[in-house]
Amino acid sequence: MSLRRRESFDPDISQKRDSEPLRRASDVRSSKSAPLRSGAAPPRDGAARIWTNRAGAGTARVRTDPVRGETAPRRRRFQEWLISLPTLFWLTLFIVIPTLLVFAIAFRPANPYGGIGAGWTLETIRALGNAGYLVIAWRTVWISLVTTMLCILFSLPTGYFIARAPEKWQNRLLMLIIVPFWTSFLVRVFAWRSLLHPEGLIKKVLEATGLAGPQTTLLYHPAAVVLVMVYTFLPFTILPIYAAAEKFDFRLVEAARDLGAKPFQAFRKIFLPGIRRGLVTAVLVVFIPALGSYIIPDLVGGPASEMVGNKIAQRVFVDRNLPHAAALSAVLILAVLAPLIAVLVRQRKKDKAEIIIGEAP
Amino acid sequence: MAEFLEFRGVSKRFGTIQAVGDVSLEIKKGEFFSLLGPSGCGKTTMLRLAAGFEEPDAGRVFLDGRDITDLPPNERKVNTIFQSYALFPHMTVRDNIAFGLAIAKRPKTEIGAEVDKMLHLIQMTDQADKRPDLLSGGQKQRVAVARALINRPDVLLLDEPLAALDLKLRQKMLIELDLIHDEVGITFLYVTHDQAEAMSLSDRIAVMDSGRIEQVGAPAEIYESPRTSFVAAFIGDTNFLKGRVLDCPDREYCRLDIAGLPGILCFNDKHLQPVQPIYLSIRPEKIHISHERPEEEPQRNYLPAVVEDVIYLGSNTKYWVRVAGYRIQVLRQHARYFLDEKPLRWKDEAWIWWHADDGFMLDHFRKADEGLLAVPPQKVGEPFNGE
Amino acid sequence: MAMTVLILVFFYLPILILVVNSFNAARFSSSWQGFTLDWYARLFHSPEIWLSVRNTLIIAVSSTAVSLVLGTAAAFALHRYAGSRLQRVHYTLIYTPLVVPEILMGISLLMAFVAAGTGLGLFTIFLAHVTFSVSYVAMVVLARLQDFDFSLIEAAQDLGANWWQSTLKVLLPLLLPGLAAGGLLAFTLSVDDFVITFFVAGPGSTTLPLRIYSMIKYGNPPMINALSTLLLAVTLTAVIASQKLARLKR
Repeated sequence: MSLRRRESFDPDISQKRDSEPLRRASDVRSSKSAPLRSGAAPPRDGAARIWTNRAGAGTARVRTDPVRGETAPRRRRFQEWLISLPTLFWLTLFIVIPTLLVFAIAFRPANPYGGIGAGWTLETIRALGNAGYLVIAWRTVWISLVTTMLCILFSLPTGYFIARAPEKWQNRLLMLIIVPFWTSFLVRVFAWRSLLHPEGLIKKVLEATGLAGPQTTLLYHPAAVVLVMVYTFLPFTILPIYAAAEKFDFRLVEAARDLGAKPFQAFRKIFLPGIRRGLVTAVLVVFIPALGSYIIPDLVGGPASEMVGNKIAQRVFVDRNLPHAAALSAVLILAVLAPLIAVLVRQRKKDKAEIIIGEAP
Repeated sequence: MAEFLEFRGVSKRFGTIQAVGDVSLEIKKGEFFSLLGPSGCGKTTMLRLAAGFEEPDAGRVFLDGRDITDLPPNERKVNTIFQSYALFPHMTVRDNIAFGLAIAKRPKTEIGAEVDKMLHLIQMTDQADKRPDLLSGGQKQRVAVARALINRPDVLLLDEPLAALDLKLRQKMLIELDLIHDEVGITFLYVTHDQAEAMSLSDRIAVMDSGRIEQVGAPAEIYESPRTSFVAAFIGDTNFLKGRVLDCPDREYCRLDIAGLPGILCFNDKHLQPVQPIYLSIRPEKIHISHERPEEEPQRNYLPAVVEDVIYLGSNTKYWVRVAGYRIQVLRQHARYFLDEKPLRWKDEAWIWWHADDGFMLDHFRKADEGLLAVPPQKVGEPFNGE
Repeated sequence: MAMTVLILVFFYLPILILVVNSFNAARFSSSWQGFTLDWYARLFHSPEIWLSVRNTLIIAVSSTAVSLVLGTAAAFALHRYAGSRLQRVHYTLIYTPLVVPEILMGISLLMAFVAAGTGLGLFTIFLAHVTFSVSYVAMVVLARLQDFDFSLIEAAQDLGANWWQSTLKVLLPLLLPGLAAGGLLAFTLSVDDFVITFFVAGPGSTTLPLRIYSMIKYGNPPMINALSTLLLAVTLTAVIASQKLARLKR
């Protein structure tokens, strides 16, 4: 179409050949200049410059936005600090400093009136070596472990199933799973307490079917704690596993089946590694809060299932011994940080490895 | 015709990547100008420099004589059609189109009238109150065009607007874009990697690669007289043969020495000298092929060949033939009823010929394109032919 | 699939029984002894309950407001300057409350307040609630920002809008659902929080969860059933309402 309109165009090629090109770009012949990597395409969409005017700089989102050369970094940094300051300040004040305080107070003696005494002492720390504490620590860890394992065990098939379900069912199922979460946590624990009560429904049913005698108590037993913990944390594990499964390319499993793998083999060797990130998140999201549970052992556990959380609360409210509570809390903090840091370090190493491998031509 | 949109020596880096390196370009008023090139060649960056979403590290951008380099995008009389259309999802079609005028605080009655005119132009008057997520791809594109044009920009920038559409729709929208350009008459700067789009729509094309402009010219000029191996290889198909200039018997033609082939004649458009190494390029559709040896006429090159591969495409057939060890592509159109002819088959002996005017020579070849040479088969350990 | 159904049953069974029993005239919920609204009546006439509801709402509304502002600002910072050293620290700081057990947060805040000599009361509860809500809000808004198509902002600029206009007319309207979700989350967390509140509350600053806890430990089981059912009803209505609202926006 365009050909017809152009008067300047001369269809005689031999004439055209003698004319100089209209461009004035640098001559291609002399392209001895630095080799150009025509690799990654510069951004098309993505935030270029929403918040700054001309004098400002571009954004630094690695994904789609360019880091703007060396111009105007100071202005950028000022803006960055300005907008980050409120939360940085608040969180430092209310998280970082209190945490440091906990560690500090662990080294102080207890004031007989329930406050914090003056001076420094290692007495509190030494008291931690008491056998009683070790029992509690051990119990806390294995209850949390069992809970974690059960949660993962139950949420794997569920997450898998929901991710495979048709689109509109996925949302409904997720809603169904999340709705109980919207109810008060205390209320749900209480509901179980009633259920497991010697006069409660479950006991009645078990008695009726002859599985339990009038003596057996379901409450005030570590198993009850595990049960209610699994109940509480299951939605938290289903969600990340579902999220990872949803992103997972199920054709990989089909390919494995096609190559001869049995269903369970494919599940184990292809699916599980494929959702590894989701699994790690799920484990963390159960294990760490479980370590610090307080309400569940308190309401359905009884003295036989005391966990670290209960001990801390007891020290604070009953014994009024804040330094002891602080010492216990410090230990719990360290116990919680350990798996987190381990995961972080492994992740950092993996990312570094990927960068190195990625750069090899 | 004045230069209307001008880039003078613009450069732009992203981190370690030089997206655009010292590029100068002049676009005429009312022109349909395309930036054509592969992914990552810098064409989108050029567009964004024109729109104001990027600032060049060096160089200036001029619009209608004014230096707009330092103007933010909202102050330039330039509008963009984004590849994803970027229609505001929370506004109706009407509000989307009216956006630019509403920002400019034009009176409501005026906005209403203009929007109605635009809706009529894109034939979407009865969809005016729909939200973008209810529109088809083609409709979204039309709304995007209307939204841009209503502001009467000096230049309309289009960032691969047809990339998201399927083939049939793309062909339809190509025609529509062309019609809009004819109707409205403003300057279009069009970015694409699709040569068919660029060639069919543009008044002029700039072929880009790796941040530089390889060639600027009318589509036919780009196709028939490529200046670099990249352009020759990027647009359409071609055969490359490496050789030297033997001599130039007259001013117009040179004889070439290509290993294995007797003196090939070629039109001397680059005023080349003997002994100069060159690369001969001849497009497949310019080569004729037949069973019988044709009668020899002057200024044509005749070569015996053996048919290696035949790819029947309906309206034409591609032949891959072996000539003195070189593998050459020939494209033959079936101007007559195919089944009446005696077709060329595998292993047939045939003759190919082309007019000396139809080949072109390049004196420079990119290392990256060396793989395109139709080299004869080598024995391992032998030095490279011609070197 | 069977597993999923079983799990759903597992989830809802205790709740259903709770609801049913709230209408049960029996003192100990194991046997049905007639339908009654007595427990609900007693709830309505209990001044402590109303006081705790009032406290809960005051804290929830105020902490939601503050954490929305702080959390949104944080999300913008995290998104826009992602990758910088400051933001990496920032992100860790925000991420931490999400993963540590509540009891640690409760006790560390308690220690801080004791050491600073601040009296424990509604204000300390408010401070604590904002502290954990900020992280949730920031994460929700951050997710929305990351999904946001910024070419829309460019398009607005291209059509003549300056920074303020493009924010007001394009960014905020589209971000609103995310902000609402963040706000709703913060509100729910605040209303429901027990452990942290337990540690930083003072005498006279009882919130609803605290009241429920003491009722569980020392009080009247059937009334708790009734209260729980009410809470359930309120939460469910809120969730359904927000869903309908979300659908209306389309």
